[in-house]
Amino acid sequence: MNRTIFPEIKTVDTVSFPETKLLHLANGVPVYVINAGEQEVVKIELMFKAGKWYEPKNLIADFTNRMMREGTTTHSAKEIADSFDYYGANLQYSAGFENAGVTLYAMSKQAAKLLPLLKEILTEATFPQAELNTVINNRKQRLKVDLEKNDFIANRHFVSALYGPKHPYGRVTELEDFKTIERSDLLSFYQRYYHPRSLTIIVSGKFEESLLQSIQQYFGSAPIINKEVVTDIVHPIEPSTELIHHTEKADSVQSAILLGNICINKQHPDFMKVSVMNTLLGGYFGSRLMTNIREDKGYTYGIYSSFVSYPHGGFFEISAEVGKDVKEATLKEIAHEINRLRTEPVSKEELQIVKNYLSGKIMRSLDGPLKFSETLKGLLTYGQSTDYIHEFLKTVKEISAEEIQVLACKYLDYDQMYKVTVG
Amino acid sequence: MIKFEEFVLPNGLKVIVHEDHTTSMAAVNVLYKVGSRDETPQQTGFAHLFEHFMFEGSSNIPHFDSPLQNAGGESNAFTSNDVTNYYDILPATNLETAFWLESDRMLSLAFETESLETQKSVVMEEFKEHYINQPYGDVWHKMSALAYKVHPYQWPVIGLNLSHVEHVELPSAKEFFFKYYRPGNAVLVVAGDVTVAQVKNLAEQWFGEIPAGEPLTRHIPLEPEQTEPRMLEVTADVPVNALYIAYKMCARMHPDYHAADLLRDILSTGESSRLYNKLVKEQKLFSNIAAYTTETIDDGLFMIEGKLNKGVSMESAEKAIEEVVLQMVTHTIDEQELEKVQNKMESYLAFGETNILNRAMNLAYYEMLGNPNEVNLEIEKYRSVTAEKIREVAGRIFIKEHSNILRYYSKNQQ
Repeated sequence: MNRTIFPEIKTVDTVSFPETKLLHLANGVPVYVINAGEQEVVKIELMFKAGKWYEPKNLIADFTNRMMREGTTTHSAKEIADSFDYYGANLQYSAGFENAGVTLYAMSKQAAKLLPLLKEILTEATFPQAELNTVINNRKQRLKVDLEKNDFIANRHFVSALYGPKHPYGRVTELEDFKTIERSDLLSFYQRYYHPRSLTIIVSGKFEESLLQSIQQYFGSAPIINKEVVTDIVHPIEPSTELIHHTEKADSVQSAILLGNICINKQHPDFMKVSVMNTLLGGYFGSRLMTNIREDKGYTYGIYSSFVSYPHGGFFEISAEVGKDVKEATLKEIAHEINRLRTEPVSKEELQIVKNYLSGKIMRSLDGPLKFSETLKGLLTYGQSTDYIHEFLKTVKEISAEEIQVLACKYLDYDQMYKVTVG
Repeated sequence: MIKFEEFVLPNGLKVIVHEDHTTSMAAVNVLYKVGSRDETPQQTGFAHLFEHFMFEGSSNIPHFDSPLQNAGGESNAFTSNDVTNYYDILPATNLETAFWLESDRMLSLAFETESLETQKSVVMEEFKEHYINQPYGDVWHKMSALAYKVHPYQWPVIGLNLSHVEHVELPSAKEFFFKYYRPGNAVLVVAGDVTVAQVKNLAEQWFGEIPAGEPLTRHIPLEPEQTEPRMLEVTADVPVNALYIAYKMCARMHPDYHAADLLRDILSTGESSRLYNKLVKEQKLFSNIAAYTTETIDDGLFMIEGKLNKGVSMESAEKAIEEVVLQMVTHTIDEQELEKVQNKMESYLAFGETNILNRAMNLAYYEMLGNPNEVNLEIEKYRSVTAEKIREVAGRIFIKEHSNILRYYSKNQQ
């Protein structure tokens, strides 16, 4: 057998994914239903427009979300935890920049039993002061530990340089900020933003249709008084005038590097193409940054680039932790890779690998109901439909070396990037 | 329930096939039965460094990753105390690419000095990033050495120090490969949109000609029973005091294992768990606390670790943990609490099976332990654990003479 010859490769031309049904509860709340797969498990995600973007001061979105499970008018935190745990269910709470909410993971046979208590958490939370004090203490302890990590510090300096310290994307938490959290802040944020008018539900997994009736029963009855989603809030950006931010850490053996700039988000027509360009530069294990700085030079365990997208903005970043003695050498190589992208068209072979890799990655992101629900959630956040997936695959197939070079010149300029180093 | 078929090639390679035609992907998992427990005390971190080296080109293929990426796939690997596990996930239509790549690196590696040198640097940066430049990063180094005196579990998978990694030379890499990376010491699992017949053909074609190599014998020293409690106190530049307690516990295949695992859940899984409620919420001694087991082939550790609140002494924190765990020895839990952890386990196992790569890894892992079908018997084993059995097993684990305590003081708080 000749082992030097590649087996023939078939490219991914079309992708398929589970069918999504859109229902509306009696009060108008949209429910996206993905009933597919083999395992009798279900994931019910309840997503509100209650993220950091809407908070009146730092930590309120986060703590409102964190504290909902700490007691309701009729159940204590322990009783709530006991009930979900007894049925083998898991609740995950999350508060991002735009959305916040809770996701229930359960065996399909148990899910309906948990909905009354889930509803209670979302409508009757009491935010008890004693529990709040404990959570504040624990979160302060965690922040103290995080503040010892170079990559964590670098990220704080980076986002506040990009957006300014008042903007939700640039605001960082100081230990003193925890003192300003009042129970009343949480209650009023909860009442205003955890409201059915800003709720979207995604149900995925393999389950009986009767589960949807239970969802209607518990989440479809609360009236939506005002159909309008929370009015948008504008936060001005106040970028730092200094591009270079260094924090010296005498006892560090490595330096954290973070560089980049404010850039387009997923709503921009260039975003799909820019994602292909980013994959080539630093978005996968075979990327130029990884190949040069890890696989050739051995300066780091890993280096990545990404276009981070939020509904109200986005930025580009390159991050790595490198040996302290090779920090300058790494920056030089990053500049070199960015300039190479701007000045030379990528070879046909290299571009083809990126295209094939990305097509496979799109396929993986659609595999199975639970995985697909994550992809769908990403689309819904930007008001996009599943057509986006087919369009993205088409873009990946059609993009040319010349287009990538034009985009690199348009969006990537090493000299204009913020450069944060810690260590 | 994971359905599968299995066969063995004449060179000793065990192959397991799990068909799932609801996906269009395929997962290819190759597990080698070699980990840091196979290292010598003079050359720790070797198995993990070697895992990196496995991506640096094989006899006929200059680089592992790019052909796989070209086939729309992705790959990664991990090394533990006991095994080194490699996996590829790709569109099932390109399954043969994974066979070509995995079989070529099982046949032989390129063994180039330059790529070994680069991977040594990469691993040293990994070591610095996770174990040196990280608050509490050296805990596992300290705890392994405290709890094990003879067995190779006394050093962490990353290695004892940077210099062991730095001094690896090519001849020892070759010797290691031809000793441990032979077909008879490996398990190949293929899962996803594939058929048994197809995998059989591909396995014979690509792996069939790989020489079986010499039969493998291991001489791993047994850890003698610990007869008195051990304690180590460390002071470091960390923000808060932390406490780590390791009790000796049984091996993964021991009949006590499932009860011990549920015991861990009672103490620490979920917000209804005992350690969290008693010590974080009620007594407010810790800002976080967790228990876990090391799940090793040879005797393992039952770990409890937590960060202390300001003003709490190590002694009172230890005493509080001891009270909670001894309660498990003196009192039998009620049926409700037992059902709770069994239900949680059932759900955990079911969610783990939603992903073909997980299913492939599980089949390989249970084959390594002795029988791939064990993966399907797990839930029954957990269900048949009784409250009394948990109490008995707690009595065998929470023994003072078997405890190893690491008091990790903050320079500013002591």
